[in-house]
Amino acid sequence: MQTILIVDDEFGAVEVVTAALEDEGYRVLSAANGRLGLERLAHNPVDLAIIDYMMPLMDGAQIAQAMRTSPELREIPIIMISAVGETQVRARFNGYQAFLRKPFRIAALLESVRRLLPPA
Amino acid sequence: MTETPSPSPLRRIATGISGLDEILHGGLLEGGVYIVQGSPGAGKTILGNEFCFRHTRSGGRAAYVTLLAEMHTRMLQHLRPMSFFNEAVIPGALYYVSAFQILEDSGLQGLIDLLRREIKNHSSTLLIIDGLVAAEESAHSGGEFKKFIHQIQAHASAYDCTVLLLTSGSGGPVRAEHTMVDGVLELEDHLLQFRTERTLQVRKFRGSSFMRGRHPFRITNDGIRLFPRIESTFSDQTRLCVPALGEKLSIGIRGLDEMLGGGLPACSATGIVGASGVGKTTAGLHFLSMCNANEPGLCFGFFETPDALRLKARTLGLPLEESLERGHVELLWQAHKENILDELAYQLLTNIRRRKVKRVFIDGLNGFIESASHPDRIGRFFGALTNELNALNATTVFTMESRDVVGGALQVPVSGISALVQNLIFLRFVEYRSDLLRLVSVGKVRDSDHDPRLREFVITSQGMRVRGVFAGMEAVTSGIAHERPSPGTDPQRSGEGI
Repeated sequence: MQTILIVDDEFGAVEVVTAALEDEGYRVLSAANGRLGLERLAHNPVDLAIIDYMMPLMDGAQIAQAMRTSPELREIPIIMISAVGETQVRARFNGYQAFLRKPFRIAALLESVRRLLPPA
Repeated sequence: MTETPSPSPLRRIATGISGLDEILHGGLLEGGVYIVQGSPGAGKTILGNEFCFRHTRSGGRAAYVTLLAEMHTRMLQHLRPMSFFNEAVIPGALYYVSAFQILEDSGLQGLIDLLRREIKNHSSTLLIIDGLVAAEESAHSGGEFKKFIHQIQAHASAYDCTVLLLTSGSGGPVRAEHTMVDGVLELEDHLLQFRTERTLQVRKFRGSSFMRGRHPFRITNDGIRLFPRIESTFSDQTRLCVPALGEKLSIGIRGLDEMLGGGLPACSATGIVGASGVGKTTAGLHFLSMCNANEPGLCFGFFETPDALRLKARTLGLPLEESLERGHVELLWQAHKENILDELAYQLLTNIRRRKVKRVFIDGLNGFIESASHPDRIGRFFGALTNELNALNATTVFTMESRDVVGGALQVPVSGISALVQNLIFLRFVEYRSDLLRLVSVGKVRDSDHDPRLREFVITSQGMRVRGVFAGMEAVTSGIAHERPSPGTDPQRSGEGI
């Protein structure tokens, strides 16, 4: 079973996305900020990360940058999600494979997940 | 030994919200912690967000932290239509985070840690915490919650970050956190029979004076627009206009100027009282017909539209159209709806200040009265308004409709209003031999002689014309005149003019 990590401080968004991904047969881990996200990554194999850009303590750009500089984590595809436009995000970090602007449709998220995470 | 310098005085941080900085006498104090309380829908979230966006415009950096399960994504969607919304500042200068999960997992200490880091990491000079009630509910004791508030104050002060704590609830028993914070602002949405009125009240503001009492506001596409109560804004009696002795302005009606002892005293307020249709608006249009580049005028009315006034002026042969084209006169019409009393006053005063208006005609004092959500304010409201009109060197004419069309005493619509105007002119209908005649009299003129006698007037295609004294009649003010019983004497009605 493939594992997806969602890192987002918005409780409601995490609930909805987790439920949708579990319905599709994925195992889902979650973290409320980048620091907790890195802790999850340190102790769990993850196949794809969905990372929110604006978060407390460690934001999306910081955790994504940390992943890209880690030999163990650099190959994990990242879907960046944000309430602001991609221009603002890309100005700070562009090492992600897909971007979705909030609020996004679940169908759009699943399409990105399937594209980045071919069936095991 | 070098003496430790005294701490600098606290700096102000302007909110940028229309009317709020006036109420706060310049804004909040930097590094202070303020509670903004109000029931759901009162406007707390809009106030907090608008403050953030306007703060970034002046170079500040803000963080908006929600403690509720409500998604800030949804909140941003709702804010997008607002003119103050500027996506370009997010997330660089304005950062949104949810601390709901941190609060759930790590309690108040985890929340404090998050807030401290957010202030530090983003160099925030403004922090909004939305949903204080969630923090209170997660506290294990009242003491723990008080400690939390104290910690916020300590970090806010250390980083010169001003903090707003948004919370539901309204005035009631004093709460511990209210005694600890630097200020409390309360938003309310009052239901007054069928209409509602939003108000803001500063209940506490440590270290600063402020305008006390409730101040009405609207939420518009431009954000919150506060209208500080006129009575609390314009109370300075030292600015009153002192016109030159004997300086008068013509009312523009031949004969009436003479009755007034030469015209209306400069900078005074005049009430024209009379029944519907007797000629009050006509008299006001005459007053405005004397406007020119040196004496610009303003008509502020509720009942007759600008087109109706233009037509009326044309019918009377008054040069209103020309005055409008030259910019000597402006017509400001307020549709008769759920107006806010203070908002009306600011519209009036803003126009007067901008154009340095000298002749003001307010057609329909009842329009103000009917806009009052609390009629007991009216006397104080008009007192402050007439003072400010005087301070702006404006000579003002109000019309006031009396209840009865014919007969009886002319009743003014607000008790005590006649004491607030310096001059009073009465227009009345009187029945005489199956005719309905019009009479004018002068009740009082400030510091001036006047002719108190009743005179007939007519309204023709050349405007209002005052005729002679209505002599030889009795019971005129009852509405039905009859000849004074005098054997062998015919009743007199004097001829044209004076």
